Amino acid sequence: MEKYEKLEKVGEGTYGKVYKAKDRASGKLVALKKTRLEMDEEGIPPTALREVSLLQLLSQSLYVVRLLCVEHVDSSSSLKSTNDSSSKSNLYLVFEYLDTDLKKFIDSHRKGVNPRPLPPSLIQSFLYQLCKGVAHCHSHGVLHRDLKPQNLLLDKDKGLLKIADLGLGRAFTVPLKSYTHEIVTLWYRAPEVLLGSTHYSPAVDIWSVGCIFAEMVRRQALFPGDSEFQQLLHIFRLLGTPTEKEWPGVTSLRDWHVYPLWEPQNLARAVPSLGPEGVDLLSSMLKYNPADRISAKAAMDHPYFDSLDKSQY
Amino acid sequence: MEFDLENPFTSFVVVEEEQQQQSGTILDLFVSESDHMPSQNFTTKCLEEEMEDFHVSFRQEAVSLILQAQFSCNFEPFIPYLAVTYLDRFIFKQQIQIGKPWIVKLLVISCISLAAKMKNTHFLVSEFQREEGFMFDAQTIHRMELLILDALNWRMRSITPFSFLCFFISLFKLKDPPLTEALKERATDIIFKAHNEIKLIEFKPSIIAASALLLSSHELFPLQFSAFKASISSCEYVNKEKLLKCFDTMQQMVEMEEGFDSMSMSSSTRTPVSVLDYKCSSKSSVSQRTTAITATAAVMPLEKRETKRRKTNGFCSENRFQLSRIQQCL
Repeated sequence: MEKYEKLEKVGEGTYGKVYKAKDRASGKLVALKKTRLEMDEEGIPPTALREVSLLQLLSQSLYVVRLLCVEHVDSSSSLKSTNDSSSKSNLYLVFEYLDTDLKKFIDSHRKGVNPRPLPPSLIQSFLYQLCKGVAHCHSHGVLHRDLKPQNLLLDKDKGLLKIADLGLGRAFTVPLKSYTHEIVTLWYRAPEVLLGSTHYSPAVDIWSVGCIFAEMVRRQALFPGDSEFQQLLHIFRLLGTPTEKEWPGVTSLRDWHVYPLWEPQNLARAVPSLGPEGVDLLSSMLKYNPADRISAKAAMDHPYFDSLDKSQY
Repeated sequence: MEFDLENPFTSFVVVEEEQQQQSGTILDLFVSESDHMPSQNFTTKCLEEEMEDFHVSFRQEAVSLILQAQFSCNFEPFIPYLAVTYLDRFIFKQQIQIGKPWIVKLLVISCISLAAKMKNTHFLVSEFQREEGFMFDAQTIHRMELLILDALNWRMRSITPFSFLCFFISLFKLKDPPLTEALKERATDIIFKAHNEIKLIEFKPSIIAASALLLSSHELFPLQFSAFKASISSCEYVNKEKLLKCFDTMQQMVEMEEGFDSMSMSSSTRTPVSVLDYKCSSKSSVSQRTTAITATAAVMPLEKRETKRRKTNGFCSENRFQLSRIQQCL
């Protein structure tokens, strides 16, 4: 790891600490994501091997944060008995560094010296890139499962949006609380996940994309719940309490209870500055029944993007 | 997060959009395949110049050790295949120290261990070592695994010719599933063989896949061969020149192996001279031979051909080297 000079801790990712660092040879900035690797008598765990190599393949896309290399650091000292086969070591995933993320970007438009809406053409461009990145992951069999504005990194100069914190699904299990016991946000979580469905489909990511879309328009979260129960109530109050008719099987999900029967509100009122095509796309991303939710690929062909010059992506 | 060589990403597929998505995936594979080759310079340099004799013999020894492991551990054939892809990339990237004969064994056992992990197969290192007379402790093997991972930059989802088979077959627009199956089966067989042929290392996985399919179609449906060739050549990702060169090399390889097979059935003498005889005589009767092979391929069940392939692998490559030496003398 002498190759890199750690500059500062920039965050706690879902799987460990993230540092901003400088590649001593090239002077380029990188993001170092540190992950603990538990070595047992089998050596490198097969799950870690399969997932990191998957990340390597996926990060070829322009819309996924690029994994530059992987460094393994053995933390057990050389004095330690060699008979001790289990050792703690760290894996550093070295990613390209981007200076901001969508959360900071939205925040800067909401508060500060010059609050203003995000330009509609920028929202359209970011959403298109997000759909493209998600379609890329889904076509390769990978669900993100934790899409949120903090995980979408921006290259402001080039107007690029890239998906981060992806793929490490099983070797590094998704914790309910992060390392600093900061509560993992529920705001972008799909209703089927909140209701305890164990079957995850690509539709869980599309729900998150819909919430992020609305948030870019509103400059504040669409469903800011602070507990799983509150999160569901936020959703039900806007979209109406789901029924067996529109979502067959919903009442048999593990965590289903009897809820107040809310009528669906007009979604357009929650995103007042969004045109009818945008509202139509948003509502197809926020369909209750995961099977009815639009796919990332189909979303890219939605009329909302007709005015976008797709050739540049 | 499983790893399937036909689809290096994952085996999870979104059903409703399978067709559309495949086109995106295949493009990514064509873009990334060079990352998974032993050396990207191979395309411009002559292989023989690039490879020192030491490398050739080192690789040969390593490959035959890996094949031995396949029998003693009863692995599915993709595990040794993967192990060889790691081995090839490692030995072209890393300086191998000459004069330490144990290195090849340590490297082989670590490549197999990594391949088995990728395929989620249990590999009893200690048992294998006992059988083969190795004696590395677990720590040493784990350190070697890390060294390999580092050299390969953790790109362990090797993009192999198998990843391209379905795509190329789809270009043929075959209507008959059993024919498609037969074609794929024969091509798979050829791809396994091709891995032991050092002359084929320089070609990209997609070119190997395309050549193997063409060769199979040449054997199985000679009438459609030119149509298949046209559809593969018109594919924008395929370099026509490389394809033809690879096809020729592969055809020579197969002819020679089939030659050994038919000889081993008819007589027990297997000298380089008789191989040479066979090569010469076979030139005159190519069409006859093609039909004969077609018949064999169709009649013989897969398992039997598999074992036959395994049996011939070892000495075939040895004899091939002798053969080339004799040809030089002539």
